[in-house]
Amino acid sequence: MQPEAVELVAFAAVALVLALLVAQPAASRRALLVRGVVGLAGTAAVVAVPTFDLALLVLLAIALLHSAIGGKRSFAARLRLPVLGVGLLALAALFARASGPDVLGRFAAVGLAAGMAALVGVLPYLHSFDADEPVSSSPIAWLAYIGPAAAAVIVADSHGLLTGDAGAAFGASLVGIGLVNMVWGSVAAWLTETTAAAWRYSFTADWGLALCGFGITLVDGKRAALIVLFSVVLGRMPLYLASREAVREKVVTERPINLLVAAALAGSAPFAGFSARVLLLRGATQLYWPLALVLAAGMLLWLPGSLRLGRSLGVPRGRHALGVAAVLALNVAVGLYPLPLLAAARL
Amino acid sequence: MVAGAGAFLAWLGAALVVLSDGRRGLALGTFVAAAGIGLVSFSTAGPPASAALLLGGLVAGARRLTTGPPGWAIMPSGSTPRLVLCVAGGLIALWVGIAVMTGDDGGLRFALIAVIGLAVARALASEDTPTVLTAVSVLALAVGAGVGLGTESSNIAPYAMAGALAATSNWIPNRTPRAA
Repeated sequence: MQPEAVELVAFAAVALVLALLVAQPAASRRALLVRGVVGLAGTAAVVAVPTFDLALLVLLAIALLHSAIGGKRSFAARLRLPVLGVGLLALAALFARASGPDVLGRFAAVGLAAGMAALVGVLPYLHSFDADEPVSSSPIAWLAYIGPAAAAVIVADSHGLLTGDAGAAFGASLVGIGLVNMVWGSVAAWLTETTAAAWRYSFTADWGLALCGFGITLVDGKRAALIVLFSVVLGRMPLYLASREAVREKVVTERPINLLVAAALAGSAPFAGFSARVLLLRGATQLYWPLALVLAAGMLLWLPGSLRLGRSLGVPRGRHALGVAAVLALNVAVGLYPLPLLAAARL
Repeated sequence: MVAGAGAFLAWLGAALVVLSDGRRGLALGTFVAAAGIGLVSFSTAGPPASAALLLGGLVAGARRLTTGPPGWAIMPSGSTPRLVLCVAGGLIALWVGIAVMTGDDGGLRFALIAVIGLAVARALASEDTPTVLTAVSVLALAVGAGVGLGTESSNIAPYAMAGALAATSNWIPNRTPRAA
């Protein structure tokens, strides 16, 4: 088992506890718990199974179960892109295993990157989104709960499937998809009409950073990807859950807590996102310094969108305040001292 | 010869799933695709593994016979683009699997490329839950059969998992979206 992926499953378990803490009063905590535990078990199975093919089958089973949860989108609309992701990943594995010209390996690399994007639900394969749908049946479940561990497994298994030139093509594909998601996601989080959609785009922007980290094949890139995914699972997702009621009621507040949350979402120091950005820039500088320039410019785009999302949180009270405080404390702790997290993942 | 016949059956079954809108047509496609995938996997995976795939497909097809839109509805009006997809997809899969890729198991490669491609295309293009579930069950069989290309191991687990997933996927309840 990949220690990085195991750690991401543990993050998801903590995120489930935080989600239960900050869930809306109207939402059924029991339903959230049952769905969360089933999703967590499925994600753990993806990490635990010994082969890539079994992981794909488990992911297909999770996609079926997730699509069967009642929601506002149709069954087919929810299942479509995860099925495309599994299909692309299966074809990529076939191309990687077959003997033939070198170009087959490059097709496999592109297929793995595209399949991962379709499975998780980032550009160019954004899952359809309905702001009023429960989080457990929405695309956020793929972006922030199942997706991080699944992506870690796919990236780890790609080392066994792809060799030499194809491995480099896979990294380049991930960096390319990552840059598109960074720019598109952060600009859309700033300018899109509805705040709920802005939250969704902010997840894709963070995924852009994580994909760039996975694509930079140096250890700093992997470290950055892990910390970014930590901030997605144990930062952005609980804060999104805490903000849903205020977003629905269109409450906008500008208290110190909103600025703190905006800073955490923007990846400012001392939150976890900052250390991830520093590691990513360091890795990019070692690999190809112009990439670091592009990444640094892209990172500035987080600020306006994060200020918007921070204001949309409202003023958390009671359990919400406790949950938001726990999220911020966790992110500060990892931002200031990420070493235990990285050591546990053997990075 | 057996692998070649199996590969053709697998493509034909997946094509039937693409071309059918009724439960009988979808079930027939599942049966034929499962028989083809089981046959083409026989040489790489062995009898127990190919039996697991075949059994999964049989259960999936039997379930599809009981639920979904009534009738055969194979090639209803307006299905010319789907027919073109099946023929063109089959030719491309044949070219890539046999001519571009080299080595043994050409039939298995052709079958997997054709079935995965057609099943994903069907799932992407349809709004009908039984049709999408049938495509997913056929996709699961193909993903499971893909193990035969990767390892020499006689581990039956991936095939059993694929068969079980194919068999159970058609039992998922058909829920209509809620308005609020």
